[in-house]
Amino acid sequence: MEPMIKLENVYKNYGTKNVLNGINLSINAGQVIGYIGPNGAGKSTTVKILCGLIDDFTGNVIVGGINIKENPLAVKRKIGYVPELAELYDVLTPKEFLGLMGELYDIPKELADERIRKMLTALGLENNINNRMDTFSKGMKQKVLIISGLLHNPDIIILDEPLSGLDANSVIIVKDLIARLANEGKTIFYCSHMMDVVEKVSDRIVLINEGTVIAEGSFSDLQHQLGNNDSLEKIFASLTSNQSNGQAANDLMNAFEKQ
Amino acid sequence: MINRFLIGLVLLPSSIYTKMGVNVNHLRAILQVKLMMDDRRPNTFKQIKQESNKIPVNFATIVTMVVMSLFGLLFIFPFFMTSNTTTQFTLYFSMFIFFLAATLISDFTSVLIDVRDNQIILPKPISDKTFLLSRLLHIIIHISKLVIPLNLAGIITIGITKGIAAAFLFFGILPFAVVFTIFLINTLYLVILKVTTPEKFKSAITYFQIIFAVLIYGSYQIIPRMIDETTIENFAIPENGWMIAAPPYWFAAAWSSLYDLKGSWYQISSASLAFAMPVISVWLIIKYFAPSFNRKLAMISGSDQAEHKTATSIDASKLPKTSLMEKLSSVFTKSGAERMGFEFTWMMTGRSRDFKIKTYPFFGYLAVYLVMFFIKKKNFSLDSIRNDENSAKILLLIAIYMIGMLLMQAITNIRVSDKYKAAWIFFTTPIKQPGNVISGATKALIFKFYLPFALAVSCALIPFLGWTILPNIILGLCNQLCIAFLMVYINVRDLPFANADIGTAKGSKFAKSMLMLLLPFGIAGIHYLIYSFTAVVFILAILAVIAVWLIASSVYNRGWEMIKTSYE
Repeated sequence: MEPMIKLENVYKNYGTKNVLNGINLSINAGQVIGYIGPNGAGKSTTVKILCGLIDDFTGNVIVGGINIKENPLAVKRKIGYVPELAELYDVLTPKEFLGLMGELYDIPKELADERIRKMLTALGLENNINNRMDTFSKGMKQKVLIISGLLHNPDIIILDEPLSGLDANSVIIVKDLIARLANEGKTIFYCSHMMDVVEKVSDRIVLINEGTVIAEGSFSDLQHQLGNNDSLEKIFASLTSNQSNGQAANDLMNAFEKQ
Repeated sequence: MINRFLIGLVLLPSSIYTKMGVNVNHLRAILQVKLMMDDRRPNTFKQIKQESNKIPVNFATIVTMVVMSLFGLLFIFPFFMTSNTTTQFTLYFSMFIFFLAATLISDFTSVLIDVRDNQIILPKPISDKTFLLSRLLHIIIHISKLVIPLNLAGIITIGITKGIAAAFLFFGILPFAVVFTIFLINTLYLVILKVTTPEKFKSAITYFQIIFAVLIYGSYQIIPRMIDETTIENFAIPENGWMIAAPPYWFAAAWSSLYDLKGSWYQISSASLAFAMPVISVWLIIKYFAPSFNRKLAMISGSDQAEHKTATSIDASKLPKTSLMEKLSSVFTKSGAERMGFEFTWMMTGRSRDFKIKTYPFFGYLAVYLVMFFIKKKNFSLDSIRNDENSAKILLLIAIYMIGMLLMQAITNIRVSDKYKAAWIFFTTPIKQPGNVISGATKALIFKFYLPFALAVSCALIPFLGWTILPNIILGLCNQLCIAFLMVYINVRDLPFANADIGTAKGSKFAKSMLMLLLPFGIAGIHYLIYSFTAVVFILAILAVIAVWLIASSVYNRGWEMIKTSYE
């Protein structure tokens, strides 16, 4: 089966700093990939490459059978992207903002309006459809961003910290949504620092550090590779931190000791 | 309505756009949203005025266009003041180019540097051509909304005084002047980015906005007072020598030589520059400036590259071990909370863009007032001040009490912040008496916004007015400190930078505000009356010191029951 997302020897540098050092990945349709790594590992750069925001990289990136360098627009049509920060034109109302998104994805206006109304209602924003988003909480803005990434019913969904600022009920809705979308055959590329959520929602976890994939597989595969039953959080720490477990906490506690 | 018309206008050649590979539906959608956002965005004028960010801004476009058309009235005075046509147009284009450049530098950043596009529009299936054209058309619409109302009065005046053809010719030359102005701004942006870091770019633009506000206010106040009507009526710009180096003269020469269909060799050479230079500018922008400009803008947006630079750009060894702020706070504050209020206010007033844009123009306004004081007097000289005791009195009192207005402004402006939610730091830390923090903040403002200037001006006046003014300087300073603490005591019931707007704070009643406005004038008036009675001056200075101590103690001991904040 042709993979939905394929990265072959992807390198990217900013000046003299190498951010990606030969990433290789192959993701099949319907998979939920948890893409994790410490700060500065290259997660955001990978996401930007997949979304067509960075084109000066070396290597091959094939999305839905299309080479992103050859036809970035066709790739963008297949992708729904939910960015990490609540970046919105917040002087607009959700209806106006999502209306623009609908236009940019060439969704017929009536269909877009219908979807916007239904999706806002599903996430509890039906009473705020005509309110400016500069009055919204971070969680409300995040809900609008999630809708903007799903509005065109994409084959691939890239979620960069999608649960940021959401209340517990909304987190349950989004986690359930991720599972439902994967059942529908959608490919989910899920970036997060929330290890417990990644552990639960992902079929496969890819751990990167310093621009290189250092471990990948299902959660149980990772446990098997390391020969223990640790949580993903502990596996992550053992593979990416140069301090032993608890060392940082000890160092912090030592700061209270009298000199 | 205006937006729909302008979008219709720029999309007239949509079949050409389609042939170029642009998606016209996407283009229209982006432009509609961008113009809608422009309508809801506060402009420079609203930013400089103290308007709360919480109040939604609607119809900003119409307001801006009306304001611009009023400013345009200022440009037409050369047509009535002088009879020489080239001089009229040179003065007109000078004012127009300066004003447009200053306005665009202030307002353009939000059009050019909307980094949200990177996250919102660029990941969508939009072709580069569509996106670039949307940006270009947005800029053209933005500039048209400024240029057309700004020149409306000029076009009408030229039409009435010189005929319809003259007005059309002027309208035809305007785009060249606009293109050249954009080139100047582009160059200035690159120079700013060259001499400063991308992180400080927005601060540099803020300072420019402040200078712009002061220049506009200063020209409005001072120029009409300086004009000698008989001199200017016969004034004609010499059409030789270095005039060819002045861009406004090119456009004036272009209008004159095309209108008369004749001109000197010098005039025609200058006129040809009016058309050649904008074309060369466009070529330079596209070929050389635009790529590096876009790269720099990407750095301003906080790309990874910029972050790497920021992370390495701070050399801790070069930082002073104990700053002036720390020295002052350790000497002049009593408790930890007061020291925290002092240092927090000192740092915030130097770094908050919102505070700076509201407060710093007052430095310029004060300078303008002082200049006005001098130019109001005929045959002014320092000797005349030295020999005229009354003038000396007024000069000293103006210097001391007017600088106090800056302090009052700072005290008012630290009460509000768009980041007021960060005030949780005051409510989660064990501060027994919030008055400590307010007292520290007030002292920081006195040391930063009053004493350096008041002492500098006073010291500068001693050589001219003699040592005998020293008792009056001491009384003036004590009175001003008394006024400042009294204002805080009566009016300030909030912690620094902890309110969304002044309206939410207690004690902002009209009567109190008027009292605070009139108090400095009243005290300055009494000071004027007793100026020459040295013994009385000394006694009042001692009383003022006692009053400062009593009021400052009262502020210092203020409890939580007196505090009001938007954070609650």
